[in-house]
Amino acid sequence: MAGKRSLIDVHEKSKGYDWDYPDTDPKYPSRFIIPKTGKDPFRMLVRDYVRMEEEKDARTYGFLDGALRMRVAETAEPRFMEALKLTLPDLTNAEFQAVSGVGMIARGIGNQELRQGYYAQMLDEVRHTQLEMSLRRYYVEHAPDPAGWDVAQRALYQHPGGHVSLALFQNFNTGDVIDAVINLNVVVETAYTNILLVATPETAVANGDHALATTFLSIQSDEARHMANGYGTLFAVLQDESNVPLVNEALERHFWHSHRGLDALVGWQSEYGAVHRPWAYKDQWQEWVGDDFIGSYIDKLTDFGVEAPTRLAKVAHDVSWIHHSTALALAAIWPLNFWRSDVMGPADMEWFDSHYPGWAEVYGPFWQGHAAMADPSSGRLMLQELPSLPPFCQVCQLPCIMPRPDRSEIRVFEHGGRNIAVCSEGCEWIFHRWPKAYEGRKSFWQKYHGWDLADVILDLGYVRPDGVTLMGQPSVSLERLWTIEDIRRIGFEIKDPLAS
Amino acid sequence: MSAKISVEPFGESFECADGETILDAALRNGFFLKYGCRHGGCGTCKVVMSEGDVEGEGSSFAISAGERADGVVLACSSRPATDCTIDVDSMELTEDEFRAGDQVASFEVELASLERLTHDTCALSLALQPPASIAFTDGQFVNVVVPGTDMVRSYSLANAPEDSDRIDLIVKLLPGGAFSALLESGLHVGDSLTLHGPLGELRLRLSHRKVLMVAGGSGLAPFLSMLRNLERRGRSREIDLVFGARTRADLYLVGELERLVAALPGVTFVPALSEPDDELWTGERGLVTEVIARRYTSLDGYDAYLAGPPAMIEASIPLITGLGVRPANVHFDAFVSSRR
Ligand code: FES
Ligand SMILES: [Fe+2]
Ligand SMILES: [Fe+2]
Repeated sequence: MAGKRSLIDVHEKSKGYDWDYPDTDPKYPSRFIIPKTGKDPFRMLVRDYVRMEEEKDARTYGFLDGALRMRVAETAEPRFMEALKLTLPDLTNAEFQAVSGVGMIARGIGNQELRQGYYAQMLDEVRHTQLEMSLRRYYVEHAPDPAGWDVAQRALYQHPGGHVSLALFQNFNTGDVIDAVINLNVVVETAYTNILLVATPETAVANGDHALATTFLSIQSDEARHMANGYGTLFAVLQDESNVPLVNEALERHFWHSHRGLDALVGWQSEYGAVHRPWAYKDQWQEWVGDDFIGSYIDKLTDFGVEAPTRLAKVAHDVSWIHHSTALALAAIWPLNFWRSDVMGPADMEWFDSHYPGWAEVYGPFWQGHAAMADPSSGRLMLQELPSLPPFCQVCQLPCIMPRPDRSEIRVFEHGGRNIAVCSEGCEWIFHRWPKAYEGRKSFWQKYHGWDLADVILDLGYVRPDGVTLMGQPSVSLERLWTIEDIRRIGFEIKDPLAS
Repeated sequence: MSAKISVEPFGESFECADGETILDAALRNGFFLKYGCRHGGCGTCKVVMSEGDVEGEGSSFAISAGERADGVVLACSSRPATDCTIDVDSMELTEDEFRAGDQVASFEVELASLERLTHDTCALSLALQPPASIAFTDGQFVNVVVPGTDMVRSYSLANAPEDSDRIDLIVKLLPGGAFSALLESGLHVGDSLTLHGPLGELRLRLSHRKVLMVAGGSGLAPFLSMLRNLERRGRSREIDLVFGARTRADLYLVGELERLVAALPGVTFVPALSEPDDELWTGERGLVTEVIARRYTSLDGYDAYLAGPPAMIEASIPLITGLGVRPANVHFDAFVSSRR
């Protein structure tokens, strides 16, 4: 007991020291006034923390052993496994960006109590990265079709779906530290991790993947403390009135951007990466983001001048559609993927139309066409049917067919001597408000303008060890897989829709 | 025989004396649990029994059969039969709040004005004695001690939170009610009263949805507070307020509501009479449930707020959820009159 007491004293004393990192020329100076007072939201001794996390790790790794015996990877729905090849590396990217993000925050926050919380969070984020990498190693070794898992992280960064993840999560560690906190701890972790890490495990279990479920739930058990970090920081900066408009603007920006990236990808995984769907994405959003985050968390902060994002109603509307449009785009570009897409059959279509009335009319014909062209003997690709390729949004990196292909809200404008496309009014606002953060990015189509599709696939390296069979396929149940030759025969040339 | 109550997620425990409720024991031991009416009517004090047994009940408003089956009990009306473990996670208390004990304050007030609104409804304005200010959110209520007894009656505040130096209440005079009797005869401007509060979780939640407010009887009070608060803060919401009364003479504060509607774009006031005796009445006719069924083919994308007589609330909830309001987005205050 005496030992414990003195440890607590040391812990308290260490928070009494105050220093600033001697950085006279920070890359991202903060516009916020950060008070010196504030409470350590973690309130835990390193020793107790490490013991607790070690126990959680042991349980999760132990489960991977069990998964081996239960043949989880072999028996899970292939459609689920395949979609994970995109979304799990997407998440690992988020963890990795968060590691460096909380490092930046701890350095820049200038408040010893709050700093404690971010130090501990950095350990958490490293833990998450490692848990996910172990799970992925398990998949590489035991998935019936490991193609794609073996190259996933490199493949991700080249792929349009990975660009969505990069664009979103770079905000964890570039820019003002308080902006980073509002993006990482407040919007992504408080508003969105419950859908990702609590609801998605249900989908995983329904589709036979208990290994993913266990890993995600273990990760989620750390999120409450990250939310506390965000709340503690927000509460501290809101004590100074001059910070209030800055908080509101950061919330506006990150709420919109996170909606685009996360609602598109998490919605896609949970409905198009599933055969069995325990819930509809839009209902999860209503519960966790609409009721809990806006209706409770933000609501309580309105006394301090925080306001609901002005685009909230628009987000709530688009949540019903953007993942369907994402699914359509990802299936249309299936030869460029490093996972197998799938055909949506009659049962899927019925589920979609009953949960999203109007779905069949907008998306039904596409999926019928996709099914008809799935076999390599068809010799056709959906890409050939499009009048042109959709540009990618310069901000969120989604294809500009949002919220629905028949109601695209694309805007194209000239900037710095080239054409820029954004998917929506929200992304357009972000672009013009922070042009430096977005103008430099080259688009996927721009890079491959004028290339034959077969050469693009070879350049990306998305072929199997035989050198000819594609990693990407339009269906998980093909008799014969598509090869580079099948694609070359079609002779499809990439044309950048923004090329002048 | 006393029982030991363990409280998760705080890992704390305390003794509950024989015959004492879990809520009373927690407060007596210096811990805080959320509560409202304290007699099983409002549901604020719900906790999950993860181990042990209790005796007690509570109104079916405060707690549904499904919740009961899931082990939910009302701390204010449950007396332990064995040692118990309760989980108070759903109260969303921070550890600091839990350990700080009961912060709900007592106030001495002076009756500043008493006005008859209808034959059975009064408006009371109570001036706070030092401490001369009360911090509350629009939608909360106070428990007023009936003078000369230890009974309390719950009433919602009708004023905006900014008017923190007074408490405006709307009181329905119930035949045979203890407080009503007092109002009819014994209570005069200048008299003192004691009250506890503010209490309750009803508040206009931030959301992207439209709002349907349904008021009956004295249930207009929390909505008045909400609308007045919106007016003060210079922001509006899309709100339909359906106010049900029996006859033209039972409607009250119509002028004030019309003023608020004019000041708040997006707000619509829908008075409805179930027995319109007035030939000239051009407004809605029928019970509020009939009016809602007639006016809305769908309430998908709405939040609903209800306040008024239990029968009205009971009839409205299935109708409203049937029209598409998510059950989680139905919020209500049902002041079940005390059976004590
Ligand atoms: S306080 Fe227990 S039901 Fe109201
Ligand atoms: Fe994480
Ligand atoms: Fe965008």
